[in-house]
Amino acid sequence: MEMTTAGQASIRRRSGLVFKYLLLAVLAFVIIFPFILGLWTSFLPTTEIAKGSLQGHLSWQNYHDAFTQTPILRYLFNSLVISLIQMAAHLFFASIAAYAFVFLEFKYREQLFYVVLATMMLPFEAEVIPNFQTVRSLHLLDHYAVMVIPFLTSAFGIFMLRQAFKQIPWDLKEAADVDGLSHWQFYRQVALPYSKISLLTLAAYSFLGSWNQYLWPMLTTFSNRLRPVQDGLRQLHSEETATNWGLIQASAAIVVIPTLIVLFWGQRYFKSGLNEGSVK
Amino acid sequence: MISSLRPSKRRPQPQLTPETGSQVTAGIKNFELKRNDKYYAWLFLGPSLLVLSIFVFYPMLRTFYLSLFLTDNFGRPTVFVGFQNYVNLLATKSYLASLQATGIYVVGVATFTIIVGLLLAAVANQKIKGIEFFRTIFTSTMGVSVSVSAIFWLFMFNPSIGILNKLAVGLHLPVVNWLTDPHWAMVAVIMTSVWMHLGFTFLIFFGALQSVPKTLYDAADVAGTNSRYQFWHITLPMISPTLFFVAVITLISSFKSFGLIDLMTAGGPTNATNLLVYRVYRDAFVDGNYALASTESIVLAVIIALITLIQFKLLAKRVNY
Amino acid sequence: MTSLKTGWQRYWQWLVGVLVVLLALGGFAYNRTRAHADTGRTKVVFWHEMKGPGQKALDSYVKEFNRKQSKYEVVAEFEGGYNDVIQKILNTHGTAASPALFQSMDISTSQMYHSGFTTPMQKFVDRDHYDLDQIIPGAKAIDMRQGQLLAMTFNASQTALYYNKAVLRKYGITPPPVDPTYSDITRVAKEIHSKSHGQVKGMTMEAYSWLFEQLVANAGVPLTNHDNGHTGNATKADFTSPAAIKAMEWVKENIDAGDFMNFGSGGNASANESASFLSGHLGIFMQSSALTGQLYKTLKNDLGVTYYPRPDGTKANGIAVGGAALWIANDKPAAVQDGAWEFTKFLVNAQNQADWQAKTGYLAVNKQSKDEPQLKALFKKSPVLAVSGDQLARTKPNNTNSGVFVDGWVPARTAIQNAMQQIFAGEDIKKSLTTAENTYNKVLESNNRANGRN
Repeated sequence: MEMTTAGQASIRRRSGLVFKYLLLAVLAFVIIFPFILGLWTSFLPTTEIAKGSLQGHLSWQNYHDAFTQTPILRYLFNSLVISLIQMAAHLFFASIAAYAFVFLEFKYREQLFYVVLATMMLPFEAEVIPNFQTVRSLHLLDHYAVMVIPFLTSAFGIFMLRQAFKQIPWDLKEAADVDGLSHWQFYRQVALPYSKISLLTLAAYSFLGSWNQYLWPMLTTFSNRLRPVQDGLRQLHSEETATNWGLIQASAAIVVIPTLIVLFWGQRYFKSGLNEGSVK
Repeated sequence: MISSLRPSKRRPQPQLTPETGSQVTAGIKNFELKRNDKYYAWLFLGPSLLVLSIFVFYPMLRTFYLSLFLTDNFGRPTVFVGFQNYVNLLATKSYLASLQATGIYVVGVATFTIIVGLLLAAVANQKIKGIEFFRTIFTSTMGVSVSVSAIFWLFMFNPSIGILNKLAVGLHLPVVNWLTDPHWAMVAVIMTSVWMHLGFTFLIFFGALQSVPKTLYDAADVAGTNSRYQFWHITLPMISPTLFFVAVITLISSFKSFGLIDLMTAGGPTNATNLLVYRVYRDAFVDGNYALASTESIVLAVIIALITLIQFKLLAKRVNY
Repeated sequence: MTSLKTGWQRYWQWLVGVLVVLLALGGFAYNRTRAHADTGRTKVVFWHEMKGPGQKALDSYVKEFNRKQSKYEVVAEFEGGYNDVIQKILNTHGTAASPALFQSMDISTSQMYHSGFTTPMQKFVDRDHYDLDQIIPGAKAIDMRQGQLLAMTFNASQTALYYNKAVLRKYGITPPPVDPTYSDITRVAKEIHSKSHGQVKGMTMEAYSWLFEQLVANAGVPLTNHDNGHTGNATKADFTSPAAIKAMEWVKENIDAGDFMNFGSGGNASANESASFLSGHLGIFMQSSALTGQLYKTLKNDLGVTYYPRPDGTKANGIAVGGAALWIANDKPAAVQDGAWEFTKFLVNAQNQADWQAKTGYLAVNKQSKDEPQLKALFKKSPVLAVSGDQLARTKPNNTNSGVFVDGWVPARTAIQNAMQQIFAGEDIKKSLTTAENTYNKVLESNNRANGRN
């Protein structure tokens, strides 16, 4: 009697395990199916895709075409430059601002912090009209600068780094004061190294945020030389739609791979960023 | 930890230490530094405040200003009309339809994102071999940008060569005009948007599930409750703050959906997916009606600001909790 | 104190460093935009909205032009759809981002004219004694204002009606005449549907305002007061004229008969239409004549083309030329504008227009193009490709068939398209069109007010 129940339990456990894996596999399949389909078709000849077929001779032709016939590399380069600049700017300007809110004493500090916090409530999407007019009068249209200057700082970044800086033991600051370290020195030698994880998190966020910009570059860039990658894809799609699916899918694949790498590299920073910045 | 939301007031008084000498010098230095704090503050905050003023505060005021005028072909305000634009806007059927469509869209996206995200997190939250692989896959959509998602899904929704209709034919289901039928177009953009949001949502839910103390489940096991009971009475209450957080974040982010709509439906068919942000773009940068678009922007900003406020309040609450 | 000082200095060093990097990258970008100026050629930026075969052909003309002469360097940029470009032009004018030459669609003529941002082509025509007579009257009528050429018509198209001869043959149906009436088409559409036992749908019409506008134009009726704005500033729309209602009733008759296939509106609608048509699931549809070449590629001589349909019992008034024209912006130096003009002349010469029609299906706007060997050979081999050109050539321009001269017509199109979709979905014709008319009248009124016109 005893034995059979144990046996049954073991069977139940094993079938439970099978069920678990089955469920995991089905869900994983649903999630990555669009990727797989996109990748698969990117290797098929367009003529086959247009017929609705999902088979055919696999080749790198679409990738070859994407690299040689479209400015996809230029788009990628533009996005890389813009995202790196924006990332650097966020790290620098947001961290010094956060430093000011934590380690400096000045009038209206709290009020100013609320003001910064309030900007997180105002959606950029609702402000594009005056912003467009501003960058036009600054003669920034169709220029890398137009995609960077309005985003030199980040209210979210200030908020997050402020949290991080507050974790720095106050004793350290006092010791630094005793040693005669200036604010700038303390910022460089203590505050930044101490908040490495938060800075990395912000870096990953800023990079991806800039990389995924769509509306603003669409409004402010007018040439392929400067168009970033999201709008480049939009451009390719509207130029080639319904005529060259293979090329489009290959371009999409080329675009998605760098972000996937950043994601898998930066995953733990995203997690910790979430914990520090907002979830906590 | 909401204290983190409130500006810090902690700057302890210098403590008396045995070494009086160094304390004195420190005091002097402290005094000098403090006097210099003001300049440092300007230096450190200056750039950020400048950028935020020019590109966040000024444009908000300017948008409001523009919404009180009629604008000419060049976007210049010419005729002052007070709140007439608002009155007209809220009497425009197609705008009300847009509001409704946006409502359906954001609620749809948030609901399904939460349900599926939670399911993924629950399934991934077990200790079995190879689970890391599945977790990585579940996070993967986080690395997909709007354009790429739209292109992948457009291909699947394609009426003649798309996989979804081919599946439907194979399963003897009716073929659906995914992007040309007003109702299905909405379903299509919601599906795509949910898919895009899943990676991020999964990550948060997964983190939340992991932080639920194991002892609670152990105790429940001892009490002989089943797993469904445990889910409703332990898991859900424990992660409810995260649930609200995700809901708000997803709501805000879907309110701002633009690229997806632009690439997949361009607001159509029959304005069925002409969501608020897309409408602002169309009215301003296609139709050249900057006053109307400004009015719509203000409505949008008010809605998003309200939701963000709720988010801040919720954050405050859960931190006290 | 010294440490404080170095702290300050460090801060400035960092700030300056970041700014230098920013400026350097910005400067790099800026230099890229001006790179070609270093070659000693005058750079002429050309914005266009051509995709697919049109873009390919255009790129080849740009290449050839740049090769043929060494004074100018034309740089072509695709800027999206017709609708997106109008505001882009208005918004960038006077900045470094703006183009020297741009392509802008038929219905933007008035807005471009009123903007004052362009140099009328007539100035260059007069200066160079350019023979304007070589351009087909019906093709340039839309770009004329009081006898002055504002822009150069370039990619001309007209609405055309296509039918699948193979389908008609299969079911033994007499094809429609080349200048059909509404009832001619209805007869064929109904027969296709009934004789194929519903296997093949009779006809469709995309919910596309241009198609509606041309039906009304072909009836010789204006869409706004002051003769479509040609004789005064338009202040009132008229989408509910008997001609407009009749046109929609014609479609409705086919919907009720069950032979109509609804593809909705928007970019995908037209692609789906052609796909159905080419695969033999749809007998008749109306679209731009620019599709002719593409359809011909698959159907060969099974492609049937007619003039745009007209109401029963009336003579066809002729329809406006669609597509777009080339404009020269006046914010660039004279040398750049001259380059734009040279390139414009190059694009509309007989040979290039012949090549353009052969490659894209847009109608050659140069009278002499039809005598070019390339087109002669083409028309001989496939007479059907000449039909839409004949339609354009026979059109005698008047105020109802020369487009609408109204600022901001895009919202009118949106309103009309919504009405069309409603009608296709079974709603009342008069009611739907009235709604569209009221919607647009409001736009028109506030637009006139904002721009100080009445």
